[in-house]
Amino acid sequence: MTGPLITDWSAVSPYGIGRAAFEEGFRSGRTTSVPLENEDWLVGERADTEACLVPGFVIKEVLGKKGTRAMDRVTGLVVTTVGRLLDTTGGPLPSEDPDEDTALVLGTTHGSHKSMVDITRDTLTDEKPYYINTAHIPNAIGNASAGMCAIWYGLKGPNATIAAGRNSGIATLNYGRRLLATGRARTVLCGAAEEYTTDRSWLEWHTRGADETGTVLGEGCAMVQLRAPAADGRGDDDALAEVLGVSSGITGPDGVAAGLETVVGNALRRAGIGREEVWAVSASAPAGEAGRQELKALDALFGDLDPLTLGRPGQIGDTGAATSAFQVVATLTAAQDSARAAGRVAVLTSVDRDGALGCALLRMR
Amino acid sequence: MTTNPAGGVHDAARRVVLTGFGVFSSIGVGAAEFAEGLRSGRSGAKPITVFDTEGFEHTNGCEIRGFEPERWIRNLDAAQLGRASQFSVAAARMAVQDAGLDPADLREQRGLISIGTTDGESWDLDRLVASQLAKGSAEMDRSIAGRIRAGRLSASIAQELGLTDVEAVTIPTACAAGNYAIGYGFDAVRSGEADYALCGGADAMCRKTFAGFYRLGTIAPERCQPFDIDRKGLLTGEGAGVLLLETLESALARGARIYAEVLGYGLNCDADHQVAPLESSVARCMELALENAGVKPEEVDLISAHGTGTKANDVTESRAIRSVYGTTPPRTVSVKSMLGHTMGAASALAAIACSLAITHGFIPPTINHASTDPECEIDCVPNEAVEADLRIVQNNGLAFGGNNAVVLLGRYEA
Repeated sequence: MTGPLITDWSAVSPYGIGRAAFEEGFRSGRTTSVPLENEDWLVGERADTEACLVPGFVIKEVLGKKGTRAMDRVTGLVVTTVGRLLDTTGGPLPSEDPDEDTALVLGTTHGSHKSMVDITRDTLTDEKPYYINTAHIPNAIGNASAGMCAIWYGLKGPNATIAAGRNSGIATLNYGRRLLATGRARTVLCGAAEEYTTDRSWLEWHTRGADETGTVLGEGCAMVQLRAPAADGRGDDDALAEVLGVSSGITGPDGVAAGLETVVGNALRRAGIGREEVWAVSASAPAGEAGRQELKALDALFGDLDPLTLGRPGQIGDTGAATSAFQVVATLTAAQDSARAAGRVAVLTSVDRDGALGCALLRMR
Repeated sequence: MTTNPAGGVHDAARRVVLTGFGVFSSIGVGAAEFAEGLRSGRSGAKPITVFDTEGFEHTNGCEIRGFEPERWIRNLDAAQLGRASQFSVAAARMAVQDAGLDPADLREQRGLISIGTTDGESWDLDRLVASQLAKGSAEMDRSIAGRIRAGRLSASIAQELGLTDVEAVTIPTACAAGNYAIGYGFDAVRSGEADYALCGGADAMCRKTFAGFYRLGTIAPERCQPFDIDRKGLLTGEGAGVLLLETLESALARGARIYAEVLGYGLNCDADHQVAPLESSVARCMELALENAGVKPEEVDLISAHGTGTKANDVTESRAIRSVYGTTPPRTVSVKSMLGHTMGAASALAAIACSLAITHGFIPPTINHASTDPECEIDCVPNEAVEADLRIVQNNGLAFGGNNAVVLLGRYEA
């Protein structure tokens, strides 16, 4: 049975806004890290000196002034990406032509960390603890970005938000796959997002282990369009890849490498894919020991394939929950450039500090 | 669009049943005590102590006092978990035990863990913000900073129970999240992709969300009175509800007690307003759930409403119910009158309440009720539980962001 098809994608990344910008940047392999001293929009004392930011991402300039005054950065990134993917400008008012058949599944750490702490900060610094800007209250809920996208683009289908650390992007592929398999949607937009703010940078800075120093944070959003294949296989010429399967796990006492080997092995076995069909491997490659363990597992399984050539977030920084969504679009980009990709399988893996392990198998068209 | 009906499926391998509950609520811990609290119309309202309420004029909430996470959390260090994760992990442990399972049994199987939440570890986050203001950003408590991420509410359950062949996701779809989580587990188990699922929701009361609702004018001064003409809003609450889902085949094979069957569910989005629910869309979500379950409206015996007790919710939801069910809808109750609004745990705890109502043959009351708002034309079963033979019960969950999720549960009849 054919799995769901990825038919389109877009991204807002440190390489710029839109798919073409990501493709150009990814192919160049250039680094996007910039010094933060000139980023006047970042308020407060900073933990980092550099980060990989979406260049020139000022919400009111990208999306217009209407309906964006209270919009936080992560919602701006998601609304922009989904607009690019749907090739529409949308708008702050609810759509007059809503779509019941399209679902949105968004991966996240937990919405906008900054929007959440801003509310608490207001309660502690203003004259009364409830003197909060009411326009900011909805931003402090973890599903705000997905809900806002639904309003902008009239998406009345299932609207879900998923948090599974770095595995979030891969987890949304699975959630989207199940929505299609159960007939709950005809099209699913799935992906993940992460914003850069000083509040996130401090939280990350205090969380990092001794082996994770040197991490440069990144931000952005990557979304793919997923739909079920046609029953007779006709009309699927627009497909970029087929989702053969998604497997997940949680790191146990045997550690990340052993756990990931099992998860990848399960994915291959459940999809009936042999080792010889694998064209490429993409690793989430977090800093430190978890990243080394991921590479160890991939080396044991696919020693002759260089997992660093694909989707490694080094060039766009540590994009947190968006990491595996960026791996998907990087893999799709690399496949376009490879004569050997068509018909073969890419193995995408992710490992997360909180234990989530993931593997997605994509057959390239 | 038409979904594939789940109801009417007679193949035991594709029917999904509920066999274990983990409950932490302000009116009772564990399924038995919770059922007793629901039946007697117990109120969880009391003065809030989990955060500083100075400066607020109304300070009641439905908090859980005397929570002893270490009684349930054995393999992880409970003190190193955030309060919401303590709730989710303890409730999951309890659900497995209540199902008569040993975690070792689950280790051999393929599982799914989905936990809904609104605030995640925001109780911790509030403390970090206070510390940041007092000492500066460079002086944060590292052990707290490291446990904020919402994914931990579900991943920690797997770690506590030693489950590795498991997909663990947290679903932060706010106040409908518990139903989302149950729906995801239902699809995974029904398709055969998971042998079992641990689904539900967890939240710990926090200052951020209390202040937000307060600012919006939706916090009731003393008590929560859904559908009442004098209702004044919601009370924030906390806790967790975790449900163990497995196939009927698996439950029968091991002789498990079956609380209820999951018949189906519906999801949709208002795509209209960030915080105000949209009647037509809420109604559509109920229709999607009924279609998915293969159930006709006249077959539903009880609706557990989202029923927050706010002006906006109760009128919109009642009207949406009448637009689907006509002028004589099933009795429609709000357990939030007792539990408060437990946010991401709300629809999970309500789903457990619905199942216990089916099992024990009673309808939990809507307490604190004096006079029904003429704009809410439903029978909310005021103040006293009633005996009832329930076959099919609908559980509504609505959230900010226009995220609607409705679950249908049925009595399992051998």
